Amino acid sequence: MRRRRPSPGWAVGLAALALLAMLGKAGAETLLRTRLNADIRSTDPGTNRDANTDGVIGHVVEGLVAFRDDTSIGPMLADSWTVSNEGKTYTFRLRQGVKFHNGATMTADDVVWSLKRWLDPATQWRCLSEFSATGIARIEKIEAPDPQTVAITLDQPTALFLPTLARPDCGQTAIIHRDSVGADGKWIAPVGTGPFKLAEWKRGQYVDIVRFDGYVSRSEPRTGYTGAKDVKVDRVRFNVIPDSSAAKAGLLSGSLDVILSLSIPDLEELKSRPEVQLSITPALGLTGILFQTKDPLLKDVRIRRAIALSIDTAQIVDAVMMGTARPNNSALPLGSSFYSEAQSHGYAQNIAEAKKLLAEAGYRGQPIKMITNKRYSFVFDSSVLVQAMAQTVGINIELEVMDWAAQLDRYNRGDYQSMAFVYSARLDPSLSFEMLTGPKAAQPRKVWDNPEAQEMLRQSMMIDDTAKRQALFDEMHKRFIADVPMIVLFNGAELTALRKSIKGYAGWLYPQPRFWGVAVQ
Amino acid sequence: MLGYLARRLAMTIPTLLLVAIAVFALVRLIPGDPVQVMLGDAADPAQAAQLRAQLGLDQPIPVQFMHWIAKLAAGDFGHSITNNLAVLPLILDRFQVSAVIVLVAVGLAACIAVPAGLVAAWKQNSLVDLSVVGGATLLLSIPSFWLGLLLLLLFGLKLKWLPVIGYVPFAENVWQAATFIVLPIATLTMVEIGVLTRMARAASIEVLRLEYVTHARAKGVPEWRVLARHVLPNAFAPTWTLIGLVLGHLLGGIAVIETVFTLPGLGRLLVDSIFARDYPVVQGCLLFTAVIYVVVNLIVDLCYPLFDPRVTVA
Repeated sequence: MRRRRPSPGWAVGLAALALLAMLGKAGAETLLRTRLNADIRSTDPGTNRDANTDGVIGHVVEGLVAFRDDTSIGPMLADSWTVSNEGKTYTFRLRQGVKFHNGATMTADDVVWSLKRWLDPATQWRCLSEFSATGIARIEKIEAPDPQTVAITLDQPTALFLPTLARPDCGQTAIIHRDSVGADGKWIAPVGTGPFKLAEWKRGQYVDIVRFDGYVSRSEPRTGYTGAKDVKVDRVRFNVIPDSSAAKAGLLSGSLDVILSLSIPDLEELKSRPEVQLSITPALGLTGILFQTKDPLLKDVRIRRAIALSIDTAQIVDAVMMGTARPNNSALPLGSSFYSEAQSHGYAQNIAEAKKLLAEAGYRGQPIKMITNKRYSFVFDSSVLVQAMAQTVGINIELEVMDWAAQLDRYNRGDYQSMAFVYSARLDPSLSFEMLTGPKAAQPRKVWDNPEAQEMLRQSMMIDDTAKRQALFDEMHKRFIADVPMIVLFNGAELTALRKSIKGYAGWLYPQPRFWGVAVQ
Repeated sequence: MLGYLARRLAMTIPTLLLVAIAVFALVRLIPGDPVQVMLGDAADPAQAAQLRAQLGLDQPIPVQFMHWIAKLAAGDFGHSITNNLAVLPLILDRFQVSAVIVLVAVGLAACIAVPAGLVAAWKQNSLVDLSVVGGATLLLSIPSFWLGLLLLLLFGLKLKWLPVIGYVPFAENVWQAATFIVLPIATLTMVEIGVLTRMARAASIEVLRLEYVTHARAKGVPEWRVLARHVLPNAFAPTWTLIGLVLGHLLGGIAVIETVFTLPGLGRLLVDSIFARDYPVVQGCLLFTAVIYVVVNLIVDLCYPLFDPRVTVA
């Protein structure tokens, strides 16, 4: 029998090298694994979206301007802008050499196309109504005088134009390439300018984003959704894991690197683990107790005030948030640059005064129903503590636990006596008051129906002068505390757990992760 | 046989229609709607109205129902409100995940529970019986989510033998897929062993008392043959009914186990859709579950003659 000739040594060596190279390449991809508590809704920014969608898409697309760490507005795809025509025309100078994920260079033409697409009702952009007659201002004209300049003309001046463009839930008014949609105008996938590209969306399982090699980063340090975006991993996988115990187990076993939005009990448990590091940042959300001021019983401000005086906000926050958040009775979040000394004056517990007010109001233990939910454990815990503290002055609160969708329905219809509620983040102080105040007849969800406050709010939206706006917010705060349409308790905290191998992660005021500048070691 | 099949299938149509009406009405009776969940605390009424009109939710409910039924008749389950996916492929996709786990787990459980129940009945009131009944009761009493979490802790975190989270379809990688479903199957098997053992034992005790068993023994038939030939087939019929019920019930989704083990199954789809008030998906899932129930029961009925010649299905 003939034996086959052995392969020459060099061929074996080459094969081995090739194999090594392949292995090396396969092993070289750095992957960062994180968690979503529910699948994203779509990849179309600011349309069919929720917080999870915003969080993923925020890595893939960018807008002209973006929020900085302190919620002020900074340039993103625009390099600079000027405001003229009595505050009605914004002229943006675009950054040079910005690349889309398909390699095309961004020009003013793309910006105009993107903006016009957002303003087309068929796009179903979430923030379209902001630019309609009932919104902050109408956009009258979008022009591109040259390939690096875009001019937008509004029908009236507004302080909210740039903050609205930058809103993450508006998809940051992303500038996208027209290849993002098909010939029929239907959405395909985002061809954006972000530091990551969308790679794969396995519905119900995970969303993968990969590093965009053609990304040209800004030079300022990372801040909010702008500044330098230096990507240090090849791929980020957002695993869809609804159950938080499973996510925690995943982190501890090493199959997840980062889990966001931890609950307080999780935090206590993870604190002691050597392989885990924690990131705790103040958040912008607002947790509090809402009162229906049209309710036959609660329309009496003395009763609402008595409830406010019966509770010790600091004690509630300490017990509910375990030291991760501070008490705050103001509608403005603690991190806001408009949070002044005036905003820090809230309610101080005063049992005697509360009892006196109740006696004056003729309150004799009538039950007050308070809707709460267990979707947000801090909301439920807060309602239990408020109930207990109010009991000490003889106020009889009955809790009614609902699922979140059912509670939202009651909230939107104003159909409640009181409810423990959590508002999502608002990035501008005018928007913080806007979510609370308005005419109940037209907008039953609004908790504070005070025409003077509404007028002040309207002014705060029109003027751009910081000192004047500050004065308005301080005055609104005083009236808000006097009217007691609700009791703000705290702004909460964004709690993130990471394996020790993750370097460079930083939370910020807005409850969304940023995986640029983050490395896996 | 075929005539019987046709009759049975025809009988399911009014059942399914009733289910469809009930599901459609019930889903809309829950307070809250998908638009509010989507818009959250910032639901501008104009925006909400616009979205409702787009989704067709502004039309009268009977009109919405007729739309849905008309499409259903053409095999179109509609599209998810939250992610715009076609509902039927979504359900089938998720169903595969649940079905593999349920079928394997119930199969395994039956293979263990039926012999165990038979032996316990045979040795009634002995130590063996006591331990089988005790074990079954224990397994029956353990909540499945707790058992699942314990298994996760032991095999996932302490021993690190199996992955803790995720799912890989069999089509992608058989070995990996298996590692992800071992624990859910083990959990479900243990729980179902408890249910089935008790049934198998009770049925076997009944049969052991009957005259033909005494007769067989008097004839001098060896004891193993008495059990295998005379007791087991007769005692299996009621157990088989129970297996059918269990299968029909579980195939509708094992939401708790799917949640603990992060499996993209039908149960989780349903629960998530309910929280999101995703009407088309909730309706689709419930209707699909009803169909599964009917089909499983039909199959169970068709199987009776296999082990009980007295039963005919003509």
